[in-house]
Amino acid sequence: MDEQNKIIGYITGGGLEANLQARLTIAAQEVQAGAFVVMDSGNWRFYSLVTDLQLCAVNEKYAQQLSLLRYHPALASMLNEQTLYTQLAIMPALMLDRGPEPGSPEYLEWRASGIKDERPMPVKTVPKHHTPVRLATEEDINNIFGVEDNKKIFRVGNTREQGHPVCLNLEKFVQRSSGIFGTTGSGKSFLARMILAGLIHANSASTLIFDMHNEYGPDSSSSDTGASVSGLKSKFGNKVQLVGLGKGTCFGNMQADFNLEISYGDITSEDILQLSQTLNLRETSAGTLNALYDSFNKKWFKEFMAMRVGGVEEDPETGKKTPSSDSVAFWAEEVGINVMAAESLHGKLKRLHGRPYLVENPDKKALRDITDKLMNGQHVVLSFGDFDSELDYLLVTNLITRKIRETWENATNEYHKDKKKEPRPLVVVVEEAHKLLNREMASQTIFSTIAREMRKYYVTLLIIDQRPSQIYDEVMSQLGTRISGSLGDEDDINAVLSGLSGRSALRGMLAKLQPKEEALLLGWGVPMPIPIRSRRYDQVFWEEVLGGDATPMDPQRAIASLYGESDPDE
Amino acid sequence: MNQTLNSIPIGKLLRAENRQFMAGCRVSELETPAMGALVRVSLEDGIQIYGLITRIAIYDDGLVRQLVSGVSIPVEISADNRHNRNLPVEIHVLTVGYAQNGKIFHRLPPRPPLSLDALYLCGEDELVCFTGLGYGYLRHILRLAEDPVEEILLLHLSKAAEAQREAGREDWYREAVKHLIGLLQEDYQRLNLVLDALEGLEL
Repeated sequence: MDEQNKIIGYITGGGLEANLQARLTIAAQEVQAGAFVVMDSGNWRFYSLVTDLQLCAVNEKYAQQLSLLRYHPALASMLNEQTLYTQLAIMPALMLDRGPEPGSPEYLEWRASGIKDERPMPVKTVPKHHTPVRLATEEDINNIFGVEDNKKIFRVGNTREQGHPVCLNLEKFVQRSSGIFGTTGSGKSFLARMILAGLIHANSASTLIFDMHNEYGPDSSSSDTGASVSGLKSKFGNKVQLVGLGKGTCFGNMQADFNLEISYGDITSEDILQLSQTLNLRETSAGTLNALYDSFNKKWFKEFMAMRVGGVEEDPETGKKTPSSDSVAFWAEEVGINVMAAESLHGKLKRLHGRPYLVENPDKKALRDITDKLMNGQHVVLSFGDFDSELDYLLVTNLITRKIRETWENATNEYHKDKKKEPRPLVVVVEEAHKLLNREMASQTIFSTIAREMRKYYVTLLIIDQRPSQIYDEVMSQLGTRISGSLGDEDDINAVLSGLSGRSALRGMLAKLQPKEEALLLGWGVPMPIPIRSRRYDQVFWEEVLGGDATPMDPQRAIASLYGESDPDE
Repeated sequence: MNQTLNSIPIGKLLRAENRQFMAGCRVSELETPAMGALVRVSLEDGIQIYGLITRIAIYDDGLVRQLVSGVSIPVEISADNRHNRNLPVEIHVLTVGYAQNGKIFHRLPPRPPLSLDALYLCGEDELVCFTGLGYGYLRHILRLAEDPVEEILLLHLSKAAEAQREAGREDWYREAVKHLIGLLQEDYQRLNLVLDALEGLEL
């Protein structure tokens, strides 16, 4: 038996519910929790994860006795070898019908009996007693996670013990919402950048990145090492559009491709109602907003904000004071709305009216440009610049995602009607997701709707956060793929594992990840949970992904990109 | 199995059953047998029964009692009593296997030997043959209830290990100890007694 197929132990008991137990026949240090192991029993091949290692003794007294003090080292060693051992807890995940031994008459009969479905399936039975356990080979990992093709099957890391490549099926990844979690410094931003690079390179989906810290678009430097970190823009050129919120917002030293100014006319009453909590709106606000829309249609915001509060006119003859025709009260009385409610709403909307990125007549229809570019396969990184208040995040993300929702729903309905053009899958990336998706805010944003319902309209979320426990349960429960780096807080660990089977076994694995460069892949998007040493996001990565095209853009491409022209190489 | 093995007669059987038997010998023949040694009885039908000496006993008789109670015993009287005594030295043997049609088995024979059958001490070749088959016969020793199992094991294993080493099997003793640990691991105290006894033997 070669080193790759080395037996590390044999099954001694257990079951599907309580995990399998195996007695380790090699030194405990050679196996780690999270190791991917394989067992062949009968016609089945079982793919499993080591979830725990326990030191055991045939009799507790042997563990208590220091044999070396009593016996000659060789004798003590023999005694220890046979009376002390390590027990593995193994979580079976998948099984594959591999048929009888190849070459045997039974195998030929089995092959002749019909086409076999040789895809791994969830485990429904257990290997028999004394089934040998071995560490997975590269071929085993490939059978489960696919063979890297630098496109749809994208390598995200390697197994920790033997360094076999572990891939993510990006086509599947974008079919449901997903999350990348980890404490500060665990490398989640690098992981996210890497996966986004994979998505862009594979052309699997468009991505809209709400970039709170200007980490994704422009080049930056690592907060730990100070080393230069390539951004998506410099590697993908025109494919990635940098959008700054408001006039003059740029990405550090890099100019935005265009700036997003939002027309008053783009703000709907629905956008305002979603900010109820942040703006502290009253229950009457909905009625007032409806009345405003009925009165002014799309111009409601402009017209309303142009009104005065407390404006009165005095009748020169009677001296009676009445609301002036440009006042809120005048309009409210005219349409039968409570004046105080209207004036209160007016006062609260002033907070929005003062935002520099909200203008009456923007230079270009940037909001529409964003959805058009996304629909046409480009990628958008939106920088909030100095507008980093909760209100800014909520308003802008809501406006954009509402627009996206409308556009993609229409496109999908069209597609269902004429079957002509399938909508481009879109991944909306939300960093610091707990700011927008916490229990209080989730009801004010459209993101929980995206996570819950938009999958069928080709739109999914990728949330990136360090405090998954702060994210609304309903959103967490919708996440198909979860990629988690080290998490220190028990609540965060529980949140990442919510809704998954085998939580107790996975909890230990998640809690013991290295603080850096290790992650646990789990959930719907991966065939089975697996801890990995994550791929490094460095020059080597870019060379592997882009081949000879990994160096920063040449001047010609940079200029073409600057003017929004298509990439000359494409 | 080589039937022309170098064997030394050391006594004749007094009584026997499947699991153990007892032979008697003269004091003059006592220099050869030793506790833990592998012995053999050949049955008329060709079956060879193998055993390990577990106890050697010399019992008193009336004359010895009289002599011991006397003031002094002349040397010639003492020597005469030892060499011409009426009661034989008793050699207790634990059955550990048998050979039939040239094949050795580490299990109890189908029938015991008969009284007055000759008991032979096995030579080194035969010891190597019998013990080289495996360690299954050790279980018979561990079943002994009234004899000092650790001492019997120590004496037997040291002889067998030496013979095996000379025959080229350096790891025989090591494997024997492993086998013993496996058999006794559920009995912590007994295993430690055995290992205490074996501590002095070089692995």
